[in-house]
Amino acid sequence: MRLTLRALISHGRVARRMGLGPESRINMLRNILTGLVRHERIETTRARADEVQFYAEKLIDYGKRGDTDEKAMHMANFWLTEKDLLPKLFKVLAPRFENQRKGYTRIARLPNRENLDRASMAVLEYKGNPFPPLFPIKQENELTLINQLLKGYREEKAQLAGQRES
Amino acid sequence: MACKTACQMLQRRLVSSAATSARLSSAELRSRRDSLFSQEQARQRALYPRVEKIEVQMQGPGLQGTLLVMNKGMSTPHSCARHLTEWHMDNAVLALVDGESWPLHKPLTQSCSLTLLTFKDANPLLANQAYWRSCAALLGQVLQNAFKDEYTVELLKIPDVPVTSGAFVCDVVLDQQLDSWTPSEEALRSFTRDAQQLIHKDLPWEPLEVAPSVALDIFAHSRFKQTEVEELAAQSSSGTVSLYRCGDHVTLSEGPLVARTGLCMQYEVTAIHSLEQGPWGLHRRAQGLSLPQQLQAHHTVWRKLRKRAEKLVEVTPSSASETAALPSEDSHPQNPAPPTQQ
Repeated sequence: MRLTLRALISHGRVARRMGLGPESRINMLRNILTGLVRHERIETTRARADEVQFYAEKLIDYGKRGDTDEKAMHMANFWLTEKDLLPKLFKVLAPRFENQRKGYTRIARLPNRENLDRASMAVLEYKGNPFPPLFPIKQENELTLINQLLKGYREEKAQLAGQRES
Repeated sequence: MACKTACQMLQRRLVSSAATSARLSSAELRSRRDSLFSQEQARQRALYPRVEKIEVQMQGPGLQGTLLVMNKGMSTPHSCARHLTEWHMDNAVLALVDGESWPLHKPLTQSCSLTLLTFKDANPLLANQAYWRSCAALLGQVLQNAFKDEYTVELLKIPDVPVTSGAFVCDVVLDQQLDSWTPSEEALRSFTRDAQQLIHKDLPWEPLEVAPSVALDIFAHSRFKQTEVEELAAQSSSGTVSLYRCGDHVTLSEGPLVARTGLCMQYEVTAIHSLEQGPWGLHRRAQGLSLPQQLQAHHTVWRKLRKRAEKLVEVTPSSASETAALPSEDSHPQNPAPPTQQ
């Protein structure tokens, strides 16, 4: 729990309350997480995406322990309601993040929902998915006019510095 | 006092009348070249009396499989761009027709594949070089029209310098009376303002391929231009020379120029250096710096580039031939003459 002014005022009741109760919340998150593992990129409300992100990362950590590990198998069995996804977790997602210690997921904000309740929306995805990138890739091109001008400027400056030293 | 001013005015008028009797004034010269250019353009358009259709296969990102049916001898790459989006119209600098560069306002003569080049392509070297050449042509136009009628201005061959040399250059020979004149900062600023006005008008550069005889007729009053026409005609494989008209100014060019003046955004005339005494008079080299609208520089970067553009750019004969390839590295300005300002 973070020690903030908000936490102080609300007498410790700072956890986000979702669904109809703790059990309902867990079931909802399980369903969303199952969808995430199946599709690798999902669109949901921002609060739910934020809640699920923690469990999505944790699930990969368990997946990395391998399917022979009893605890890992138990957790995967609990969190994935559709059992055909168990091999995907251990054979596809866990090897993908082998060299990564954390930060397997990414959240991007979306505009508020228009039709229903104006809820703020978000996109949650596992990194390394096959879809087009969420953010445009910044392209650096050495050959554009201004970069060519700057290249000439740098070269001349280096040349002048070389002459001064010698 | 009144007598003195009257004398001066009389003297000036005498000088100007003597000058005009020997040659045409610059306005008359411009209108003559302009009308001859228009005549030749009308003649070339009349070569296609019937509307015939050609098929233009568009190449480029997002345009695969786009087939445009255009008019032979009438449609230009610009009219193809107008069938696409406004983005293509605004950003197209140069066209690539069947792999060779083609000015944007030159009519297409046969079915071909067409690529529109922009400044932000993966390999924009062709567009950069055309832009640099066009900025030099614009500088020539400004210099031609900036002086009073009594001074002759002779534009020399525009040297093709690579972009990495830092400035585009335009060689000019001014009247003999102006040999002792050193351009002040005010004068440079006035040139810049003239160029900005041309840019604001957003004039197209209309290309025209003409036979050398027509070009010689157009440049009948300029001995230097005539020799240049002959040189260019001898070099080109088809025996023709390419003329470009911007507003009412007709210019000769070795390579293609960009679509319109409005593509320039930041434009500044940075220096005019005096070179050696040539056969036509004192050679001067005007230099400038410009960036297109799509690639603007922050003012700190611009100031650095501008400072560099004030130094004299050495034109080596080899640099002209290397421009088609990657920009050369040996063409650094050595700065033998100090900048005229500051």
